[in-house]
Amino acid sequence: MRSASITNPAALAERMTAKEQVDASVPESTLPPYMEMFLAHLRVLIGVPFDYLVPDARLLPDESIRFFYVDRSWTDRLVDGAIAVGKIGTREQAHHQAHAADVQSQLDLTERVIRTLQRGLPAPADPDQSTARVLTGFLLRSAAVTGWPAMDVRAFSTIVPPFQGDPDSPAAAQWAADAAAAQLTTLRLELLSPSVLLAIFDGIPQLVWCEQPHHNVEFAVATNDEVSFFLDRHGAAGQIEPGAAVPVPVRAANGRVVAVAELRNRLAALTSPAVLPQTGSAAFAIELLDYPWRQRFEGIKSDRRVSSGAFVPKYQVASVITDPDLRTTITGLV
Amino acid sequence: MTEPPPQGHMYLYDSATPPLDDGSYRLTASTEVSYRGAQQGFSQQSYFTVVGPRFTVPQAMVATTYPPSNGHGAFQDGLAHIVLSRRTLPWERELDPGKRIPAPTIPPGAPPAPAPPVPWVALLVFEEGEYTMLRGIPLPQAVPADVFARLGSPANITCDAVEADADLVASILPSIEELQLLAHVRWVNVDDRELNTAGGDGYYAVVISNRLATPNAQCRAVLVSLEERSDLVQANPPPTAEPRPERVAPPAVDAQIVAEPVDVLPNPIFTLSQPPVHTFSPVIGTPVKYVAPARVRLIALTSWQFTCEGPGTFRELMQNLDVAMFGTVADVGHPPLSDTGHLQIELQDRAGASEAVWYRGPLVPYNLTRDPLGPYHSADQARRVTPETGAEDVSYAAAFEAGRLLAAADARFAQAIMRWRRESYKQSARASTIGALAERLTLGLPATLAETLHTPIPPIVGTAATQAVVQSAPPLADAYGLAKVRGATGMNPADLASAWQLGSAAEAANLLGADPGTLGAVVSAPAQTTREDTTLAEVAADTTGLDRLASARAQAVANAATTLGAAPPGPVTPQATTPGGA
Repeated sequence: MRSASITNPAALAERMTAKEQVDASVPESTLPPYMEMFLAHLRVLIGVPFDYLVPDARLLPDESIRFFYVDRSWTDRLVDGAIAVGKIGTREQAHHQAHAADVQSQLDLTERVIRTLQRGLPAPADPDQSTARVLTGFLLRSAAVTGWPAMDVRAFSTIVPPFQGDPDSPAAAQWAADAAAAQLTTLRLELLSPSVLLAIFDGIPQLVWCEQPHHNVEFAVATNDEVSFFLDRHGAAGQIEPGAAVPVPVRAANGRVVAVAELRNRLAALTSPAVLPQTGSAAFAIELLDYPWRQRFEGIKSDRRVSSGAFVPKYQVASVITDPDLRTTITGLV
Repeated sequence: MTEPPPQGHMYLYDSATPPLDDGSYRLTASTEVSYRGAQQGFSQQSYFTVVGPRFTVPQAMVATTYPPSNGHGAFQDGLAHIVLSRRTLPWERELDPGKRIPAPTIPPGAPPAPAPPVPWVALLVFEEGEYTMLRGIPLPQAVPADVFARLGSPANITCDAVEADADLVASILPSIEELQLLAHVRWVNVDDRELNTAGGDGYYAVVISNRLATPNAQCRAVLVSLEERSDLVQANPPPTAEPRPERVAPPAVDAQIVAEPVDVLPNPIFTLSQPPVHTFSPVIGTPVKYVAPARVRLIALTSWQFTCEGPGTFRELMQNLDVAMFGTVADVGHPPLSDTGHLQIELQDRAGASEAVWYRGPLVPYNLTRDPLGPYHSADQARRVTPETGAEDVSYAAAFEAGRLLAAADARFAQAIMRWRRESYKQSARASTIGALAERLTLGLPATLAETLHTPIPPIVGTAATQAVVQSAPPLADAYGLAKVRGATGMNPADLASAWQLGSAAEAANLLGADPGTLGAVVSAPAQTTREDTTLAEVAADTTGLDRLASARAQAVANAATTLGAAPPGPVTPQATTPGGA
């Protein structure tokens, strides 16, 4: 049970006689902040039961990714329903009717800052004021979500080609800047369950990539026969240098235990390609790290149909009606 | 480096240490005061303890593991590691505070040994059958007695432990230098990842194992505590073996199925015979004593299992995903889905009868235009009947109800929306009040009064009224209805001049009385006395001014009394004011 907000008689009397209970800095006709945030959360489907999103489990089988557009009419109805709470008469209806356009345009802006605020970052000083864009996203159900939590997910409005070259060159910086410019704002990226990831982007992406989380990049060795192991050496552009693989020493007592100190000594003695000065565990780890896998999903196709959202059936019942009068009537009804 | 790493970058550090290691501390504060040449010392001692995970690591601190917990995949080529969201954890305690482990000898030509600190944890990989997990055993059973004593003999501690052959542990356990090399800190960019409470700042500690798992083996990775385990941790790594030279993959051999003849045994024939007689001879020779291999136990801070078989690495999983637009089903028609993504579902209608309806969620396979017919006020408004199938489409009605239920479940939202409405109603009520006031009274109210919602009205109206009185501006209100009378045709000098065929309107005005005050014309106010700042005594002495005020008040009271139809009160004499009396 909620505790009473006013307990002593003096405070109650003061509150009853106070003419203005709202802080003077708050203009009344705008949405109260909590209400605005609540409705904006609904816009990105936060709190909507999973069964409403995926009404049949076969729509999202195991080990699958499903891209989608968000039906804005659906989320608008969700907001309408929320505002319908306590709507007991024509006064509330008239009020909602008068404010609906303002509420909608305000929420179109607020939905973009939700993720920023959820991450505990300050709201942007110059928020994006452009009109509402098409929301898209994907649902991913995979063991990769469970096993590699917090993977990097990015969506781009153009197809950013994979970068090949020296990561320290100006070209790499230019590539990174281009990619950042083409990146779509992520409005929501959340686990709905340990194995289901939901992402919603602001705009229509041409490229989405899911990258192995950097804190979980593993240390891998190459082997031909599971007896002897080699460490592939990468050149400046990230390519594997042929013939430069370093044999991985193992302990005499156990053939699958890497002799870490000896491996480090060998790395330190290498000259081509040059290794980092082996000062400690960080330099050692860099030489051992496998490259993170970046899965690209390119050229997401829609059916290229832009529909009004009206129902288009599979079965054209109306087309088989031959009586011209009846057909006119039915067309009129539609 | 205070800026977080940019996208696609990661920073690595050798270690991260807390300002204070875990342990008990004594804080001594002392001051030296000299008073008349004599030194007087004051000191105060207090004690505090810095506590961190010591005998178990809570699961919340484990950000992720590789291989994934209970994962299946080709993990045999990767070194298992654990990612801890508490970045200082591996360096919070001292492995060997008593310096019982000798300093390592560095072979010639080797790079200098990594700088301290040395982590007190190690990640060990055991295969099935090599180890025994002991759950919740008392601490004295998990470590040798002398280690227990050096740990401070903490009482009533239970912990998990892993038990394995001493030889095996010795062959796996990293040396001091290797321990240092197998733990580091990563700082990663967290802009494009899901919201997660663990490691929200992007810092992680990573502890790596040094053992490659055998293919097809079921393994368990155990994060063990090595605090005070100078009996196990070696200063120098054990000898290494030269790996075999690179070998090409063995040529594929065509598999052949060879039918091998099987000896067919003849049907057995049982015959009765005398039972054999066994005689036991005394044991000859010295018995061989079976010596169980020595076992050691290590405190298991956390552990997980994985299996090295099948596809299951991140790359394999992502490459094998079934990629499609939402609404694609493997078996067309199951579930029954229309081209538009609508799903046929059963619904109980209001009469309780079952009805087949269409439903489509917010996730659709193609771009839809936004419905401009809004807002909707009830779910029924959003129900549609599809003429082609005759079935109802309840998608948007369901959305409406979902939103309504979500909002109704949130008490704070209900408060906010009630406030939103109440304030809007208040605003419109206030605007109409001010509008009515401005219509009836010519007070010269500020034009923005209806918009500046928080400005209280009564003081402003009061001020405006007072100003009007003081300036003797047009009557505040047309108490006698003169404005209407003045509008009558008979009171208009121009009309009158025309009707009575007078020479001019001025002549008619003279006939009507020619007194501007009668027609409500502006009467100029008497000149105000300008004053400097005065004292109360001077005001009291100004009898002329007070008299004028008194007469004005008496006139106002008389006017009010006349309006109310009461007898005018007697003249009022201003009361003498005494200085300081007010």
